[in-house]
Amino acid sequence: MGILLQLIFTGLGVGSIYALVALGFVLIYRATNVVNFAQGDFAMVGAFAMVVMTIDFGLPYWLGILLTLIVLPVFGAAFNLGVYFPLRNRSYLPVIISTLGASIFLENGMLAAYGPRPQSLPPIFASQGITLGPVFLDSQYLAILATTVVMVALQYVFFERTLLGKKMQATSQDKEMASLLGIKVALMIMITFIYSATLGGLAGILIAPIIFVSVGMGSAIALKAFAASIIGGFGDVKGAIVGGLALGVIETLGAAYVSVPFKDGFAFLVLFVFLLLRPQGLYGERISEKA
Amino acid sequence: MRFPSSLWRARAAVMLALGSLMLLQGMPARAADPIKIGMVIPLTGSIAESGKYGIQGAKLAIEEVNKAGGVLGRPLELVIEDDQSANPTTILAFNKLAGDKNIVAFLGPTRSTQIQAIAPAVQKAGIPVMIGGTDPTLTHTGNPWFFRFRPNDNYTVRVMADFGGTVLGKKKWAVVHATDAFGTSAKTLFLDNLKKQGIEPVMVEGQPNNSPDYTAVALKVKQSGADVMATFITYEQDLAIFAKQLRQLGVDLVWVGSPSITTTTARNLAGPALYGTYAVADFFSGANPQAKAFAEKYQAAYKSPADFFGSWPYDAIHVLAKAIESAKSTDPQKLRAALLAVKGYQGVEGTYNFDNNGDGLHGYNILKNDNGNIVIEKRIDFND
Repeated sequence: MGILLQLIFTGLGVGSIYALVALGFVLIYRATNVVNFAQGDFAMVGAFAMVVMTIDFGLPYWLGILLTLIVLPVFGAAFNLGVYFPLRNRSYLPVIISTLGASIFLENGMLAAYGPRPQSLPPIFASQGITLGPVFLDSQYLAILATTVVMVALQYVFFERTLLGKKMQATSQDKEMASLLGIKVALMIMITFIYSATLGGLAGILIAPIIFVSVGMGSAIALKAFAASIIGGFGDVKGAIVGGLALGVIETLGAAYVSVPFKDGFAFLVLFVFLLLRPQGLYGERISEKA
Repeated sequence: MRFPSSLWRARAAVMLALGSLMLLQGMPARAADPIKIGMVIPLTGSIAESGKYGIQGAKLAIEEVNKAGGVLGRPLELVIEDDQSANPTTILAFNKLAGDKNIVAFLGPTRSTQIQAIAPAVQKAGIPVMIGGTDPTLTHTGNPWFFRFRPNDNYTVRVMADFGGTVLGKKKWAVVHATDAFGTSAKTLFLDNLKKQGIEPVMVEGQPNNSPDYTAVALKVKQSGADVMATFITYEQDLAIFAKQLRQLGVDLVWVGSPSITTTTARNLAGPALYGTYAVADFFSGANPQAKAFAEKYQAAYKSPADFFGSWPYDAIHVLAKAIESAKSTDPQKLRAALLAVKGYQGVEGTYNFDNNGDGLHGYNILKNDNGNIVIEKRIDFND
């Protein structure tokens, strides 16, 4: 029983990492109808920014986070201008290729600048975690779970209760109609990229104490997060969270009780089953409804 | 057309210089001509960094040999060809140098796959090639021209099993390995070795690379009741994640790992989670007086710490010089016999006793992570 509880907690912790990155996917997809394949690299950029601030420049942790929170929006804006904006009037395919290219560029640029050796970032809390009966609760996983909950709540309030959020929703549903109503579509998309880069970067800082800072840290996670957001129903915030958490638990339990070497396979097995039986995902709308 | 006359003069001078060089190459070797040793090594491509270290190690030895009067009264000279970090280009590089009849022996690549690639060409050329790859089959498939200057992988697992079982007296083994080529082949060799000692491990588990979480494996180790664990994990970050989660679950046992466990990166990432662990390593700067002296010279010359990429070429040049001297010839067959006759030579990697397969070393250093510092625990050598 203790072992099962431990596995479920760990699974939820890993799942919340997937969920946090999946949120970024969903945001940009909703605004532009495009999958951003560089989403995982946003996490890598955030984590490396923290390495530069706290290790290379020796700044205190809080100041590092503060400065990173200035760097990330600028990066998001630059990403929008360089990768998405020039192709905004083309179909989705060139944009997807463009994000793929950006991903390769970012990873190799970081490799050239920092080399292949992974680095470590200090955890947020001094304590490693707490032992509760037979279960060890890693403090970093607790922080990630808490952040995910807060971000989801904030996002919900923002999209459903504020004018800016509603304008962004309108943009994502029908760009032409939105611009006819006087919404500045380009600005809305710019804001989405800025927010998504900040969110992705924060995710990177949060997961760095667990999986360390390396060039490929984001892309390994992003693949699972992508699967999670399809399982949840692509474009749905709730779905991304539930899909991420479910995937984390399923692969951890699968590794423990079925096969460790097949661990990465479970995520994609679930994805396969969903694509076959319920392609719209857990919370996704049917294609016919959208038309 | 008008050209500045100085440019013409410069061109003429270059042509003359080139022409005389070509003439020189065609002439027979004289007594003071250098003895040429070819070196096929990556200077570009994904593993170019290691090639630089290899050249530095070899050059250090060549300087020492030449300062002491050379070999048979002639200085040694290194002829380097870039293998571009890939198999087909390694074959090209080797064949290019093999065409130079003045080259009497080679230093080959450090990676087993590239050595395998040039094996047919080496057999055809019939010249001794010193190698640093650790795949056991390289010297066991009837190719008489490979001479190995690092212990092969059979000894890695043998020393690990011997240290945990015979030296520390532990019998309940857990084995954790990466599911890639390195991890699975090392695991298979290790299990064979345990079987020879009559030991069946209490747990064997493979884990995928680049995973954010290894709790499932750590729990299995805990449940198995093992008192000693061998790991073959390829990447340092995977090793560090696993180590941390193992400690978080309160697992404390004797841990003997493959070499990646002692790297600076692994120690930085894992911190206290790796304290008290053991690892096998062929080169360690504090292992013996020769290694200590080599590490100091290397550090002084190149301002970077020595590692095995530089240490085996250093040994190879010295052993080769010794063999040429005792053969009194650079004839391939005589050189081969002299290399196989090298016994008890104290190199920086250990004591060389060449066997008939061409393996020079038959043991490993056991290192210990002593509160974050690497120290030597023991040297284990076998007679076969």
